[in-house]
Amino acid sequence: MFLRLLIESFRRQRRRKILAGIAILLGTTAVTAMLALATTIGDRIQDELAVYGANIVVTPAAEQLDVQVGGIDVRPDSGGATLKESDLKKLRGIFWANNITGVSPQLPVHILGTTSEGETLDVAATGLWFRHSLSNGGPAIVTGAPALHPLWKLTGEWPKETSPTANSADAVIGSALATSKGIHTGDTIQLTPSPQNPGALHSLHVTGIVATGDTVDNQILLPLSTAQSIAGTPDAVKRVEVSARTKPEDSFARKDPDSLSAKQKEIWYCRPYANSIAYQIREAIPGARAEQIRRVEQSQGTVLSRISGLMWLISAAAMLAAAFAVSAAMATAILERQVEIGLMRSLGASKTSIALLFYTESGLLAFITGAIGYIIGSGVAAWVGIKIFGASATPALTDILNPVLLPVIVSLSLLIAIAGSTPAIRRALSMEPSSILRTGA
Amino acid sequence: MIMMVKENLAMINPNDLTRPDCAVISLKEVTRDYSGHAGKVCALNAASFSIVAGEWVAITGPSGSGKSTLVNMIGCLDRPTQGALMIDGVDVASMSATDLDRFRADKIGFIFQQFHLIPYLSALENVMLAQYFHSMTDEKEARAALERVGLGNRADHLPSELSGGEQQRVCVARALINNPPILLADEPTGNLDEANQKIVAGLLKDLHAQGHTIVMVTHDPEMASLAQRRIALSHGKVFCHPVGGAIVPIR
Ligand SMILES: Nc1ncnc2c1ncn2[C@@H]1O[C@H](COP(=O)(O)OP(=O)(O)OP(=O)(O)O)[C@@H](O)[C@H]1O
Ligand SMILES: [Mg+2]
Repeated sequence: MFLRLLIESFRRQRRRKILAGIAILLGTTAVTAMLALATTIGDRIQDELAVYGANIVVTPAAEQLDVQVGGIDVRPDSGGATLKESDLKKLRGIFWANNITGVSPQLPVHILGTTSEGETLDVAATGLWFRHSLSNGGPAIVTGAPALHPLWKLTGEWPKETSPTANSADAVIGSALATSKGIHTGDTIQLTPSPQNPGALHSLHVTGIVATGDTVDNQILLPLSTAQSIAGTPDAVKRVEVSARTKPEDSFARKDPDSLSAKQKEIWYCRPYANSIAYQIREAIPGARAEQIRRVEQSQGTVLSRISGLMWLISAAAMLAAAFAVSAAMATAILERQVEIGLMRSLGASKTSIALLFYTESGLLAFITGAIGYIIGSGVAAWVGIKIFGASATPALTDILNPVLLPVIVSLSLLIAIAGSTPAIRRALSMEPSSILRTGA
Repeated sequence: MIMMVKENLAMINPNDLTRPDCAVISLKEVTRDYSGHAGKVCALNAASFSIVAGEWVAITGPSGSGKSTLVNMIGCLDRPTQGALMIDGVDVASMSATDLDRFRADKIGFIFQQFHLIPYLSALENVMLAQYFHSMTDEKEARAALERVGLGNRADHLPSELSGGEQQRVCVARALINNPPILLADEPTGNLDEANQKIVAGLLKDLHAQGHTIVMVTHDPEMASLAQRRIALSHGKVFCHPVGGAIVPIR
């Protein structure tokens, strides 16, 4: 009979259930969407941010440490081990080559010269790629320092590579240096001949001013080939920043591959962890030391935790709103059924059994609408994901429906429905059945 | 049971109706006040009388005189503010809420002016609902009860598909399904036309003949004349029967 009561009340009074149902549905849809986004947004943003900035740095193995203070290599310019620029194309041949989105070799040099205004210059400079086409015979990627530093602000143009034998080369001046020395785009810097630079290079042509917000603002940026001829070390590279699309690090990622069994190592190797890509780079480039750098990932982490914090907050707000809506809808639904309650009391039903009936009813409603809300909400999350992140392909159904969320959402919706209907049920039961039946229609 | 009641009625004289061994319902100085925001209303004022088992009593009086209040208290849907109310030998004022629910399911059958059928349940299910809250549902028995009120062929109809008279007969079937000793009818024919009133009156006569005690509120003199005696209320006071508890028999 209990079942019959429930079923018939749903079957024959569909319209009355709709109001409360819609309230729960909207709430659970919003919460599902938020939670789905909050849980997947981490991966998504990881992917997005991974495009920017380096997450692997390659240095000569002989150099024990990559000694950088505030972005400046404090080791002596010359001397020490170097990598070969010509080896870098091997990055296009490693297992995860397609995950490598950016490569930026660096060669620090020292520049002595005079500006157009006659100011003496004695500054650090870095040789870089700006728009370099990197290919290992197969398809090329066009990359360089600007691609890895999307926040650099350039006024003017990036230097063009010139032949090593030309007597003038392009350069970009850091904004702080440009201000302090009064250098402008179009200026020429006369180079003071030095023992390392016996070549033909006499002057630098300033093609632009770059603001980076870090110590590069006090430097001159040159094409890598120019730096190599200034330093007198053709093909030499001191440090390579690599940006790779990686799988977020987990405990397996942190394993030392050489301590793993062959099979496990194979699995490790074939996962795009920053560590395994670094491992493959070490294999590919002789004398290279490749390390994952976490500095960027940590800041990614901060952004992530802020964004998901926001998502959680919105989820909580959506839930609260849903609870209020449900309680309002339940209040109407139950007060409409006061006569029913009065009648049941007159038939000898206890308050407990009536409360049980009504709770089961709203629980059932919550269960159904919660499940529907889960499906719709997941769809909304997928849609929002596509809108925000511009997904390349339509995500698979298994990606849209996160199975962990289903029980979470359904229990949340149960909680909301029960909490929301409690005031109405309590109120209805506290009314005297005699007065309900007296006035009841 | 029927035999015993008839014996009782034959034996006792009207002035002896308050004898505790016969009284199935007995009120002593029962008062019911309602205190709302507009002040205190005394819906029932020191009512004292008794009803014996198997008796059919009509409660009459103008609107607002406290008839429904009285019936609701006898039906344990409401409690007296003051005074003692004994039903079937039990002081209901001292019962716990849960015991009272149980007691109500066992002892009382309600017939309402507005029928109060659950709109989403069929006639049969409405009758079975009373069984469910009493003990266990028994579809056969419920069908039999509907047949008894002449609705065997309408058992699976919803209340909205039944006429007022038919709905009231469902209500009667529901009231008697658990075979309660006391039937309370608050204007059972108030919403019915003459033809249906006759049918319901006939049903009540049958129930009375079977030994049910019937307390019936009515405005209708014809209905009231079916009862064995009448208790008249005015402004919450019981009159029309001598002090001391004896009630003037109608016939
Ligand atoms: N919950 C309540 N709060 C305040 N006053 C009430 C309440 N219920 C009933 N009353 C008052 O008690 C008095 C008796 O009401 P009751 O319903 O018993 O009258 P009645 O004789 O059944 O009238 P009717 O013939 O119109 O049904 C009325 O004056 C009514 O206004
Ligand atoms: Mg009334």
